[in-house]
Amino acid sequence: MSLPDLALQIVYGRLAWALVAAALLLAVLPAVAQRTRMMIVAAIVALMLLPGAASPAYWLTLALQYPSGLLTGCAIVSLQARWQGRRPRYTLPAALALGLAAIGLVMYLDTFGVLALGLYYGGFNPVAAPLLACAAAIGFAVNVWRGHAAGPSAAMLIAVLLFSLLRLPTGNLWDALLDPLLWSWALGSSIVAARRVLAARTAHPRPAPELAPAHDLAPAAAAE
Amino acid sequence: MGALHPPLPRPAPSARPVRLLALLCIAAALAATAAETWRWSRAALHHERPATLSHTGAPVTGVTELSHAIIPMPAGVPSAHASSLASLPDGGLIVFWWAGSRESGPDVKVYASRWSNGKWSKNWEVASRDSLGDALGYGVRRIGNPVAWTAADGTLHLYVVATGLGGWAAARIVQMQSHDQGATFTVKRVLPMSPLFNTSTLVRSAPTALADGSWWLPAYFEIGHKYPMLVSFDAHGDPQRVTRIGTRTKSLQPSLVPVSPTEVRAWMRDDGDSRRVQQAVSRDGGQTWSDMEATALFNDSTALAVLRLSNGSLLMLHNREDIDGSARSALTLSVSTDARTWRPLRDVIDGVAGDEFSYPAMYVTGDELHITYTYQRRAIAHHQYRINLQKDMP
Repeated sequence: MSLPDLALQIVYGRLAWALVAAALLLAVLPAVAQRTRMMIVAAIVALMLLPGAASPAYWLTLALQYPSGLLTGCAIVSLQARWQGRRPRYTLPAALALGLAAIGLVMYLDTFGVLALGLYYGGFNPVAAPLLACAAAIGFAVNVWRGHAAGPSAAMLIAVLLFSLLRLPTGNLWDALLDPLLWSWALGSSIVAARRVLAARTAHPRPAPELAPAHDLAPAAAAE
Repeated sequence: MGALHPPLPRPAPSARPVRLLALLCIAAALAATAAETWRWSRAALHHERPATLSHTGAPVTGVTELSHAIIPMPAGVPSAHASSLASLPDGGLIVFWWAGSRESGPDVKVYASRWSNGKWSKNWEVASRDSLGDALGYGVRRIGNPVAWTAADGTLHLYVVATGLGGWAAARIVQMQSHDQGATFTVKRVLPMSPLFNTSTLVRSAPTALADGSWWLPAYFEIGHKYPMLVSFDAHGDPQRVTRIGTRTKSLQPSLVPVSPTEVRAWMRDDGDSRRVQQAVSRDGGQTWSDMEATALFNDSTALAVLRLSNGSLLMLHNREDIDGSARSALTLSVSTDARTWRPLRDVIDGVAGDEFSYPAMYVTGDELHITYTYQRRAIAHHQYRINLQKDMP
């Protein structure tokens, strides 16, 4: 197990919660001027960096520990998009959401003792976890290079980079990619995506396959 | 939070920023790969091997009490629980426990006392929720069980249960270190043990020494299902791996004892209906674990301690079923030579219904056995015994 230094975790906790809080706030606020956006982000960062119990991060970390690297990455990508004046989207892309929801479900069942797979402990594996991180980093970089799913890929890349360079947030690869808040978001996004698919099917039912006219079948029947 | 935005119909961004972002991502991937390669090239291989003991073969015939005492409590503190014993580099012993107004109270702190020249020193404060909160950079709500271990290099490691938002189900494990025989401690880290906000893992039982100076720390998960775990540490106190012990969901607080170079046993507190000491076995030196049928020993959800003597015999300190039906009013010492059958050696204390003598800890130095336990939830009691082997008898 290669674990991050406690001082590094403290700094990460403050900054990551600041980014997540700023992204959330800017997502729910109506469009505001660039200068106002900058002031909001600066105020939140300053608030989170307050010493000891004066910082909201002190209490957030007490209850929730650290945001995953991926949630932090999503916050950064969201802030960057908002910076460019794009409208917020409140759900994760369906493929990412489904993947996270499924992995999280298995891992949390395992943690609660319903399963006995030891999945979370595998995130400390000194060989498999770094290899997976490297493969993911290369894969997501190629994705961005090709212009495929640039937002999710960039967020993933931030998570992998935090893990590989600094072992943040905890030294466990799963904690870099998932946390219960992100899992809840992924689960909600999956449900929304499923409802959209169902609604689309209801609105545009598939046409029934056309049956061949009876006389076309006659020769075949006669041949029997 | 609207993290991953689909591009809206906007003027198409120029190719340069997009290409710049792509290049940054490629650079990030290369940096990640380089960092992992560098770390891998410097990683030391850690081979766990259970410590094997020499067998003298002489069976234990009994124990003779040399002394008993109540360890000095902090003034005006009515509640105490969960003691843990460790050796000191200078040859003495040190005990840790928590005390405060009540279990889970905000004023609960971890205290320590030193045993030397046949008596306990005045206690001193080791950790509080404020001191842990200051060191961790985030709040701690409650302080719980301490577990101590002295490494081969003389560093004293202390693992303390500290909760987040909630009761013991929100518990985390804080690792502390002392380089001055327990006089002062610094917080090293919070052990990452679960993906659920890192909650619901606790420690209670004493660590187990491995052959190369490393050790195993027994731990357990306890929200809903309760199951035992172990964390393996290298000789410097850095965690190496975590594993679950067996697949049971109603046993906790494992005591781990190697019985051969490859076989390790775990005895556990029972949280189910069987009311028997639970057990599990590893036949590959602690890598993988299988459940075993429960022992015949009574256990009504009470903590126990097991250790191996230099002659190969096993001692278990546990609550036995009392004649009045109490689960924690009698504390007894049992012995086994084969890790299967246990015979009672002697009662350490036998009270009446409503008494509580619980959460035992043991430590052996030479032919002396030291025992501490929670005395009526008010204090920590200590007994010192001489272990009698058959060759000692006339």
